[in-house]
Amino acid sequence: MKKTITLQINGKQHEIAVEPYETLLQILRNQAHLRGTKRGCDSGGCGCCTVHLDGRAVYSCMIFASSLQGRKVTTIEGLPQGKELDPLQAAFVEAGAVQCGYCTCGIIMTAKELLAGNEPLDETQIRHGIAGNLCRCTGYTKIVDAIKIADASR
Amino acid sequence: MTNTSVVGKSVLRPDAFEKVRGGKGFPVNVSLPGMLHAKLLRSPYPHARVVSIDASAAEALPGVKAVLLPKDVPQIKFCPVFFVPTLAPSMIQDMLVMSDTVRYAGQPVAAVAATSAEIAEQALEFIEVEYEELPTVFTTEAAMGEGAPQLHADAPNNIAKNPVFEFGDLEAGFADADHIFEGTYKTQRVHTCYMEPRVCVVDSDADGRLTVHSSMQHMFGLREKLAFVLDLPESMVKVVKPPYIGGGFGGKLDMGYIEPVAALLSLKTGRPVRIEQTRYEDFITTTRNPIEVYLKTGVKSDGTFTARYARSTLDCGAHATHGAEVIMVHGMFGILLPYRCANQTWEGRTVYTNNMIGGGYRGYGSPQGAFAVESQIDEICEALNLDPIEFRLKNAHQQGDPHPFNPEFTLSTYRFEDCLKTGAERIDFARRAAAGSTEGVRKRGIGLGCQALWVSGCMGFPDIYEHSGAIIKLNPDGTANLSNATVDMGSGQITTLCQIAAEELGLRADQVRMTYADSETVPFDAPSHASRVTYSAGTAVKAAAANAKQRVLEVAAVMLEEGVDNLEVRDGHVHVKGSERKLSIAEVATRAESPFVQMTAEGPKPTTIGEKGTILGVSSMAPPSNPSPASVEFVEVEVDTETGEVSILRVVFAHDIGKVINPSAAEGQVEGGFQQGMGYALMENIQFDQETGACLTSDFLDYKMPTAVEMNFPIESIFIESDEPTGPFGAKSLSEPCTTVPAPAIANAIYNAVGVRIRELPITPEKILAALGKL
Repeated sequence: MKKTITLQINGKQHEIAVEPYETLLQILRNQAHLRGTKRGCDSGGCGCCTVHLDGRAVYSCMIFASSLQGRKVTTIEGLPQGKELDPLQAAFVEAGAVQCGYCTCGIIMTAKELLAGNEPLDETQIRHGIAGNLCRCTGYTKIVDAIKIADASR
Repeated sequence: MTNTSVVGKSVLRPDAFEKVRGGKGFPVNVSLPGMLHAKLLRSPYPHARVVSIDASAAEALPGVKAVLLPKDVPQIKFCPVFFVPTLAPSMIQDMLVMSDTVRYAGQPVAAVAATSAEIAEQALEFIEVEYEELPTVFTTEAAMGEGAPQLHADAPNNIAKNPVFEFGDLEAGFADADHIFEGTYKTQRVHTCYMEPRVCVVDSDADGRLTVHSSMQHMFGLREKLAFVLDLPESMVKVVKPPYIGGGFGGKLDMGYIEPVAALLSLKTGRPVRIEQTRYEDFITTTRNPIEVYLKTGVKSDGTFTARYARSTLDCGAHATHGAEVIMVHGMFGILLPYRCANQTWEGRTVYTNNMIGGGYRGYGSPQGAFAVESQIDEICEALNLDPIEFRLKNAHQQGDPHPFNPEFTLSTYRFEDCLKTGAERIDFARRAAAGSTEGVRKRGIGLGCQALWVSGCMGFPDIYEHSGAIIKLNPDGTANLSNATVDMGSGQITTLCQIAAEELGLRADQVRMTYADSETVPFDAPSHASRVTYSAGTAVKAAAANAKQRVLEVAAVMLEEGVDNLEVRDGHVHVKGSERKLSIAEVATRAESPFVQMTAEGPKPTTIGEKGTILGVSSMAPPSNPSPASVEFVEVEVDTETGEVSILRVVFAHDIGKVINPSAAEGQVEGGFQQGMGYALMENIQFDQETGACLTSDFLDYKMPTAVEMNFPIESIFIESDEPTGPFGAKSLSEPCTTVPAPAIANAIYNAVGVRIRELPITPEKILAALGKL
């Protein structure tokens, strides 16, 4: 039985009819056509689907869309999409933190929340902060470097 | 070494700019109008005969467009491995796309295509399957034993393959030894854990021609296998190259069930059909085969090998797939060839069980071999009080030696000694204390592991493809497009191949763009596997760029009224040697495509026939050699003797990869490779129900791999550059040793820390505590 909800995605109001079993990940990919949010496992285990819900990083595969009436969602497409990148996106490119790139958008969304605080981050905070995001290509070395670069440039 | 302006620089990856903004090019994003979604019904039994299937209720479900059952599927036996022709003698054709005999839990027995994935999934529950359960066997020992169920008619005792390699006189070698060492080393089943699931979209036209989008590592392998199992000419199958895929590491090196099933459902419905695997399906699709290695080694008191005997037993699960070739590569490159020894015998056995099927995984048999060989070398050095670096040097091949596998080739660049010595110096190996001698609860240790000889590419194996090709096309604005069939699974070919082309053409890296390719428009290429792309595809790209450059010079020669020999290309221009006169490549490319009368700033000017024709460069070739890189890794660990927990403190990796094309990308290979090797060494293990054979690892919550928290240590990459004469700008290869060497290096470091030897991966805290007598 579909239910219509209204929610804000990347600053725009969307009215979406959702099935009770549909997740935020599914409606972002299939109805809002925002393909930057990826499915890696569908069980809250990899972090590829990380988006912001009212400013907090969440696994979009673990949230039923029907519960999101009136909420605010930001996806990777809510960050700059033109040539001028967000400093965090630019740091990922510059540091060589992107290999296959399938985890990248999720990690950027997680790191974006980490960088929302006022204090500079130490390496332990960064590593624990992204521990819920798996990457199989990079060993995280250059991902941590990228977040440090973005942190230092604030 | 050649002076280069683009090669050797850490130029930024062009695909990274796209990926940080969402990455639209992943195969998981392919969507076609009218597309159906399909799901596979998988057997819950590990060994059974399908007695009957009733799908009528599923077919009646609204939204269901087609059901596929074993009777609808051509019963053509095949081997799914991409890098050999399907009927290559080295491979075993023992699979069917859908069969009424099930040999592992999870084997598909039916499929449904529907208007949504949810409807397809629901429809699976309406399919009634009657199974007749058959006796099962889950260990290689039991499978080879008396009374075991025989899983394949043509494999007595369930032995799928039993290769033997012999050199010299083994008995005489052991008689000549001062000491003999024996040990059995076991490895587990692990998954590559590519982050993007396996996915495909297959469409068909009215003539039955197929267009395939897939997350696989090899366009041409997929075309060949798919055509074979569907009994179609290869020209009826077009495989489109994805701009990039979300990881592979060998885990996408064979055709899955999904591509032929989607193709058959598309032919049935006339609509595009998409199948995306769940993470559970990925876990049971492809893994690194567990291998048990028995090693018996004779040495002189000074450490010289006199005889080596090894017997390797590989559990390939229900079908041989890669297990037929992994066993060979493991025996040759993992066990026998890395070190010199005149008297050697190796026997391999690939054994069928009712476990899940295996696949390719970075290293392809060498991680299992290196864990055994490098662990035992450490044991020998410990027992005979020999220096582990001197020991390896004494037995290693030297630069200039003939290649031990294929003596037609020479190890013309092979700086193994420099790797060992430089790495040892960097980590200060001399400070290493005696095993288990550090004070306190938390004990530290240093260990090393080597991949003394790993061959990029596969030349010498007669069945295996090695060729590559490329097309380079210049645009009127002076940029170039490069088409090449190798799929970039994250390791950076998009960047490095463009760098190689740019260097040859005298362009900037960002002036060459990797563009569209499909199996109908570009030359054949072997897969992105075996650490081969930089060397093999790089060689073909350089050759294509050289062809294009020659055309640039010919057109410019007409325009400048100079001889070709008097011209050179650099900085985006064609220069007259020793003169200020030059033309931009844009001007040359524009003129080549211009009409006979060209408008210029000075008015209309006639041009000539000699200038005409788009500037193209094409190559399709096999690489000239088989140059071996050399890699050495040192690891420092801390082991908590109360909890058994291992922390890595520092990693130093030294590697002769020839000329480094892109240092940042090369470091990325080392860092990511260590993560995979560390997971293999310490934690990763696919879990099974011992009674039902069911895979209990269904997602990442059940499969522990290193996160950023466990990876909290420096990884120092040292590239010992050599100038490989056959390589593009001197390059060799890198990827696989990065994953091969961590397990033995970590195992040896743990031994050095606590004085106990663990011969079975993963080295969990429980195993360490048990070995310390604390459990």
